[in-house]
Parts: sequence; structure tokens; C-alpha cells
Amino acid sequence: MNRIRKLLVANRGEIALRIIRSARTLGIETVAIYSDADAGASYLAAADETCRIGPPEAASSYLNSEAIIAAARAVKADAVHPGYGFLSERPAFAHAVVEGGMIFVGPSAASMAVLGDKVAARRLAIQSGVPVVPGIDAADPASARAFAGEVGFPILIKAAAGGGGRGMRVVEADRDLDGALEAAAREAQAAFGDGRLFIEKYLARPRHVEVQMLGDQYGKLVALGERDCSIQRRHQKIIEESPAPGLDDAMRTRMAQAALTLFRAAAYINAGTAEFLVDGANFYFLEANARLQVEHPVTEMRFGCDLVAAQLRIAAGEPIADPPAPRGHAIECRIYAEDAERSFQPVAGRVLYLNLPAGPGVRIDTHLAPGLEISTWYDGMLGKLVCWGADRAEARERLVDALSEFSILGVRHTASFLRDVIASKGFREATLSTRFLGEFFDGWRPDQADITAGLIACAIAAEGGFGAEYQLAARSSNAPAAARSPWEQLSRFELWSRR
Amino acid sequence: MRLRRPGDPQEFEVELNSRDGATLRVRIDGREIEARAQPLADGSTILTFDGRRIRVIASRRRDSIIVSAGPASFEFLPVAERRAGAARSLVTPEISAPMPGKVLKVLVREGDRVDSGQPLLVMEAMKMETTLYAEGAGVVKRIAVAAGDAVEHGAILIELSPVSDPPAPGSGSRDS
Repeated sequence: MNRIRKLLVANRGEIALRIIRSARTLGIETVAIYSDADAGASYLAAADETCRIGPPEAASSYLNSEAIIAAARAVKADAVHPGYGFLSERPAFAHAVVEGGMIFVGPSAASMAVLGDKVAARRLAIQSGVPVVPGIDAADPASARAFAGEVGFPILIKAAAGGGGRGMRVVEADRDLDGALEAAAREAQAAFGDGRLFIEKYLARPRHVEVQMLGDQYGKLVALGERDCSIQRRHQKIIEESPAPGLDDAMRTRMAQAALTLFRAAAYINAGTAEFLVDGANFYFLEANARLQVEHPVTEMRFGCDLVAAQLRIAAGEPIADPPAPRGHAIECRIYAEDAERSFQPVAGRVLYLNLPAGPGVRIDTHLAPGLEISTWYDGMLGKLVCWGADRAEARERLVDALSEFSILGVRHTASFLRDVIASKGFREATLSTRFLGEFFDGWRPDQADITAGLIACAIAAEGGFGAEYQLAARSSNAPAAARSPWEQLSRFELWSRR
Repeated sequence: MRLRRPGDPQEFEVELNSRDGATLRVRIDGREIEARAQPLADGSTILTFDGRRIRVIASRRRDSIIVSAGPASFEFLPVAERRAGAARSLVTPEISAPMPGKVLKVLVREGDRVDSGQPLLVMEAMKMETTLYAEGAGVVKRIAVAAGDAVEHGAILIELSPVSDPPAPGSGSRDS
């Protein structure tokens, strides 16, 4: 590794930390950037240098391409890793990094422009003979109605530049069509700065299965197995596993071949993913992600590899070797600062207490630390818990156990929901589809014993039983005080009146 | 004390009846539970009750208690005693922000009559849009925000007054 000496990580949170750690193992110096909202975040300590890039708004900070490139040049970085989200799939950013004389750790701007744009990727798939879900490129109300007339409702509106369910709408009936088109375009414009849409037929109970790709600068392209990411809320994955349960080897091979064909057609270099919908014995190309994915640790656990290190090596011009043989089974779940009982609405808070799981086969990728402020400025993912086992049953049991150890005070989160999902009969039997949560977990309520424990804890807390530091810590992070607090009448301690 | 969770109508009556060393007697909705509490050095406590063993930690905030119980996390709000004779149907329903975010669109005007399920307002948080709907029929009494406003969690957005006849309208949100 002599071509990359200093890497600027153009991201935040868990993925920034993840990238810094891999860079360190390769002896690369790291520079973390931060917005004012992240100025006090503990994970910044992992970098060799840090650099402020702007106010909390993503548009002025983590999406501010000019400020990030200026920072990279100022610190004399010779490479930039975009992580996932933010600028990771913007060809203009990749181009600007290269124009600035630095290495972009990812595909070329040209490959990204083809694969990252959903409409262009779909067109390339059709040209390459890769099956796609029936759909149309246009999204004006008249074309949409004509298409719905052909394939029937429901239809799915998607953002051309999209990802993570943003700008996506399922339209069940004609009367909802105009409003949905308008809302999807607005959401896509706000999230991606690009309001273009396209439309697909909505499959009833598909599975989401994707293939991990890795390509070097010398034309070698390999597939590193698949991941089943069917468990989704709001069209965003929350549980991912590899291998995909119950998929036969012939199908697996055909999907890997389709992914290789498509990525070869895009002259793809570095890590990327080809996503498919599996409907019975058929699979359809869904979209490509021209970047590292959130769920990459599932593949790493199964193949015993470091995909971020591989990305850095590829970017530095090293050739890739054949991937090692996969072993066992890995399952990941994403823990979010959300209310699982209320449509997974984002919640904010500050970490006052934290207990993270560990143990054989247990990996947690997180930037969580005591005192960390979780705001709603950015995506609310708190961390990813990944468990490996010799088989699916062992991985699943380890994950349920590990989730039981996970606790945070100060930010509500989805760990107990995930535990219930992963422990459920439906998940155990792998009856996976992208509708899984809607079918089995709509109206989910927390475990009664957990609520009872919570109420007993309230009784102890009302007596001042959990120690003064938590009371004060909670207070300092709280919003401006309300005029009258009902607790002041209950309170035996006078901590409340101090500031 | 009476507690409920935000957005959930279920109320719990909780009393700590006695504490004898590590043994707590707590009455929850009329059921007495004997729990063993083992405090740990990190500030949390292991509760053992009904054959379960759950690590808890809680903190009082100005107007709520936040709790971590194993992997579950809760917020409990005190429920004020209801005044005798207060008629439920006269309670003014308020549509409040379910999360901090930005108001994108207000879909109704003051004085409008709204039906159950009618969209009232579109909010954005973390680049996701959420539409807030009327859960019952009512009349828009006051609109407290305009498109573009940044709002805090719990901020009152729209007040509805009941249509002359019951049922009383309520408010709620669901993902659009």
C-alpha cells in the first residue's frame, strides 16, 4: 500500500468509524469530517485528524461536496472514501475527487452514473439480458395510468436517483395516483436533489436478495455470495442474512451470473451490489448500489474478509484474489432510534447509559458512546448487530441472545422489536418476504414482562433510586423546561431545581 | 402514580408499597408483584420478578420517566387526575408533532370541516414524509403552523373542535 497514505472519510457515525478502523489496519492515516451536530461525537477520536465541514444541515455539511473536497485538499489527503448514503452515489462527487488529484474509493464516475441511476441501470440490465420487473421510465399521470391499466394496481413509484425507500410510494388505487406522484417527486427532490421517477409493477410477496460484487482495475470481477434482505420497514432493510435461506444452488448461480454480466457491462471497479427481487422461481433485477452497503458485514462474517480493506486495496491499484470459500451463516439487524409502535417514527435523545453485547460470533458496528447526542438531523441508525454461526439456527440464537444484552437509556430504539422478530416462528422458519413485517408484526406491542420491569423501574426512579448522575445527565440534555412539572410534587430530591 | 406511554391510551397504576432491603413490593394495576432489586456498579439494577430477570435503569426528566428494561426502552408520562364531571366530548383534540421535523404542507384551513381519515398536514423528518390524519370528524379550530416551519416533538400543529354531535374527534398519525 504505497499509493494511499492519507484517507479522508466523507461520512459520519458508524460507517465513518468502520472505515477508519480498516484504514488503520492498512497503515493509512485517517481524517474524519464532522458537522456541528457531530462535533462532540466520541467516534471522532478514532481518526488521526478531524476537520469541521459545516453546520448540522446535511446540505451544508455531509452533502457539501465543495467543502469536503476543500477539506481533503487542505489536509493533503490522497484518497476519499464516501461510505454509504450522502455523497456516495453522486458521480459529480467522484469526478470532483479525481479532478482534485485524489483517489475516489469506489467505482468510476462513469460506472456510477450508469448503475447508480435506477432508470439507466434498468436499461442496461434489459440490454444485457438480465430480467427486470415490468415497468416504465415515465412517471407522468397519463403514462402511469396507462401502465396500471396494463398490469393492474398496485404499482410502485420509485425515485430514479433513490435509495432507502425515499421517494417511493405504493399506489393501491387510481384515486391515490396523483397525490403519490406528487409526494414521491417532492421527497426525491428533497432527498436526492433529483425529482425524476419511474414506475414498476408491484410484486405480491417477493424476497429481496442481493449479490455482493468486487472488481479490480484489471478487469477481474467476483461475486461474494448473496444476502437476503427481505425484512424491511418503510422499504428499508432492517434484517439481512447470508446465505439466503432456501434458495437453490442453480438459482444462486444464475443470480451471480446476472450480477456479473451487469457489472461487467458497466465496467465496474470496487465494491458494489446487484439487488434482485425473487418471486418464486423467478428473479428480477431491482437496482444496483454503486457503493459499499450498510449490510456488508454479513458478507464479511461469512467470507472472513474485510470489504473496506479490499476497497482501499483496489483503489490503490492492487489486483483482487479469488474470494475464500464461505462458511456458516451470518445475520445482521439494524438498530434504529425509532418508535417501533408508531410507524417507526424517528426519535431523538442522548445516550445516558449503554450496554453493548459481545461474545463468540458477535459483532457490533456502532458509534454509540455514553453522552452521544442522537439528533434527527441524520439517519437514525444506532448500530448494526451481526452474528455468525455454523448454521442459521446458531446465528439466529446468538443474535436473539445478543439483542437481549443490548440496552440504551436516553434514546428509544428498536432492539426489543428486533429481538421479537428474530425470535418469532415466521423468522425461524424463514418465511421471508418484503411484506414480512406488515404481515406478522403490524400492531406489535412490547413484551409484557419488559413493560412491567419498566413500570417497576419507574417506581424506583420516582423514589430517586437510580443515582443522582443519571438524573442530572438527563436534565442537562433535556429540552427547555416546561413551566410546571408534575414530578416536582412527587420529587423527594431537590435535584430538579438545580441547573 | 398513574402512568401512560406517549401516544398510547393504556394507563398503568403503579405504587411502590414497601422496600425491604433488596425486596420491593410493587402494585401494578391491582396486582402485587414482589421483585428483587440488585443494584449494579454501573447504575443499573437487575430486577427479578415472575421468574424473569431484567436489567433496568431509569431517569426522571422534567415531565416523564425514561426507562431501559433489557433491550426495551420506554418513556412514561404521569397522568393527571381527571377532574370530576369533565365531559370527554368537550376535550379539544390537538394534532401534535409525532417527531421533530418540518411542516411541508398544511392541507386544511381554519373553519374547514374534516372527516375521519382525512389528511390534515404533511411533515418531514429525516427526509421521510409523514401525513397526519384526522381520526374522527371535526372542525379545524386553529392552525398553529405554516409550511416551512420547524417543529419540536409534541408541538401543537392543529386544533380541532368537535362537530356538534358525538363522537368526539381524535387525532393520530400513520405513515403515508
